[in-house]
Amino acid sequence: MVLEQFRLDGKAAVVTGAGRGLGKQMALALARAGADVVCAARTAAQIDETASEIRALGRRAIAVPTDVRDSAQCDALIKRCVDEFGKIDIQVSNAGIGDMRGAGAEVWDVNDDDWHDTLDVNLSSAFYCARAASRRMVDQGHGGVIINVASGTALRGYPQSFAYGAAKAGVIALTKSMAVMLVKNNIRVNCIIPGFVLQSPPESEQAVEFLGARGRYLPVQRLGEAWELGPLCVYLASEASSYVTGQGFVIDGGGLAGGLAPVGFAPEAP
Amino acid sequence: MAEWTNAKLGAEALDLTGRRALVVGAETASGRAIALALGEAGADVTVCSSTSSGDGAFAVKKLAKEIEGLGRKSSAVAADVALGTGAQVMIRQVAKDAGRIDVLVNAQDLFLAKAAEKTSDADWARVIGANLSSFFFTARAAGKEMLSRGSGGRIINVTSVLGERAIANVAAYAAAHGGVYNLTRALSQEWGPHGITVNCIVKGWMSDSPAIADTVPDAGKTVRFVPMKRPGEPGELAALAVYLASDVSGYVSGQALFVDGGLSTHL
Repeated sequence: MVLEQFRLDGKAAVVTGAGRGLGKQMALALARAGADVVCAARTAAQIDETASEIRALGRRAIAVPTDVRDSAQCDALIKRCVDEFGKIDIQVSNAGIGDMRGAGAEVWDVNDDDWHDTLDVNLSSAFYCARAASRRMVDQGHGGVIINVASGTALRGYPQSFAYGAAKAGVIALTKSMAVMLVKNNIRVNCIIPGFVLQSPPESEQAVEFLGARGRYLPVQRLGEAWELGPLCVYLASEASSYVTGQGFVIDGGGLAGGLAPVGFAPEAP
Repeated sequence: MAEWTNAKLGAEALDLTGRRALVVGAETASGRAIALALGEAGADVTVCSSTSSGDGAFAVKKLAKEIEGLGRKSSAVAADVALGTGAQVMIRQVAKDAGRIDVLVNAQDLFLAKAAEKTSDADWARVIGANLSSFFFTARAAGKEMLSRGSGGRIINVTSVLGERAIANVAAYAAAHGGVYNLTRALSQEWGPHGITVNCIVKGWMSDSPAIADTVPDAGKTVRFVPMKRPGEPGELAALAVYLASDVSGYVSGQALFVDGGLSTHL
């Protein structure tokens, strides 16, 4: 039965950036599909909350405060998963910062620190986690799945933060190369490429109105919601995607498929 | 922080109960696998043979029985969808019989291996008709039906990696499939505001692909260029079709999603 292919019963997953937004929803979705989850992020209170929501679903979950810019902490994170659950089957590298240092600055005004910090948190972190996770997956001998989270800003000019766009483009390239290299070890590597996605529901009338107006530029006439990454993450984490590797799955309301002009700017069609 | 009260993350996410799907090209291995999977996920499925050949019509009749065996409603039809009127008449009838069409899958596939300079006008017309025009004709008719109801829909086009890059001796086929990609993007822009998403599932070398079967010398060895070192099985496309047919894929549109064992990492 096809729906059984989406099940993750008995699998052990690590999700970085699991304290809120996309990462939290992906962690919850993996748990709903049956996985036990290690929730990582810098802020302990938020991942404690995610972990307790997962335990309430009847799965095992732990919170491991982690700064993914530090490779030693990434190694320790993966080790915690193996210590706790006996293995690691699924690595979701979602941690990143979209609103980072140097955002909005002119090219000549972005200093070395801002550039390096943006690459560290958005690109190096994915490598550090994949390195640690793949080593364990190879030792285990039964492979696994690595899912990176890139961004639509990697595929278009992104003047708001060119460093962020460059880092996320690096994540896509990293995904492709690692997929080809790790296929022999039965490890699939894919990435999710979100467009505009709301981290949490808008809490004021003004926010609803403002975000609604932005959404009308997209073909689907709305912005994405964090939970919508959950089912896609489960697809990529499970046997449902057994023949998928090295791919970037875009979830962006049709934005990139158009791209030439926002919705509403089209030739007259009598 | 506020929570997503509308989130669908569990078993309900992919449930297609009550959906009415139409799978065109259900006589192909990919179409058959997708039709069965949609049925398993809860949808009622009309299966359509994309040619009026006796073999195709027989295959979809048998398939409809299998889907009924899953406890769903199913019926079999046949139409020459390379003709606009053929697609239109068939889809009007299906919409009338099933009540509506929520999901359209195009899985028809006519491969032709032929040197470009030897490809006749008739070859070109036949390949473009079967692999490109038919996708537009079915989408036009089903889209009209979806628009008139106003409750959105899903269009899923199954296409080939040969639409993204090419090899020798497939000029017409590659042109047709490349056309399907951009048709998909165009329809996603036009019908997105009406709740209709349009996507491609891009298959690589499948176990039943004519591209790696009898027309290529040392066919079995062609898969060595696929990182997974094996062809895909039709069933491996089906789960993605279920995801794309479901409610929870509403923010995915205008995309070509590759199920190809990593083949497109070479692109």
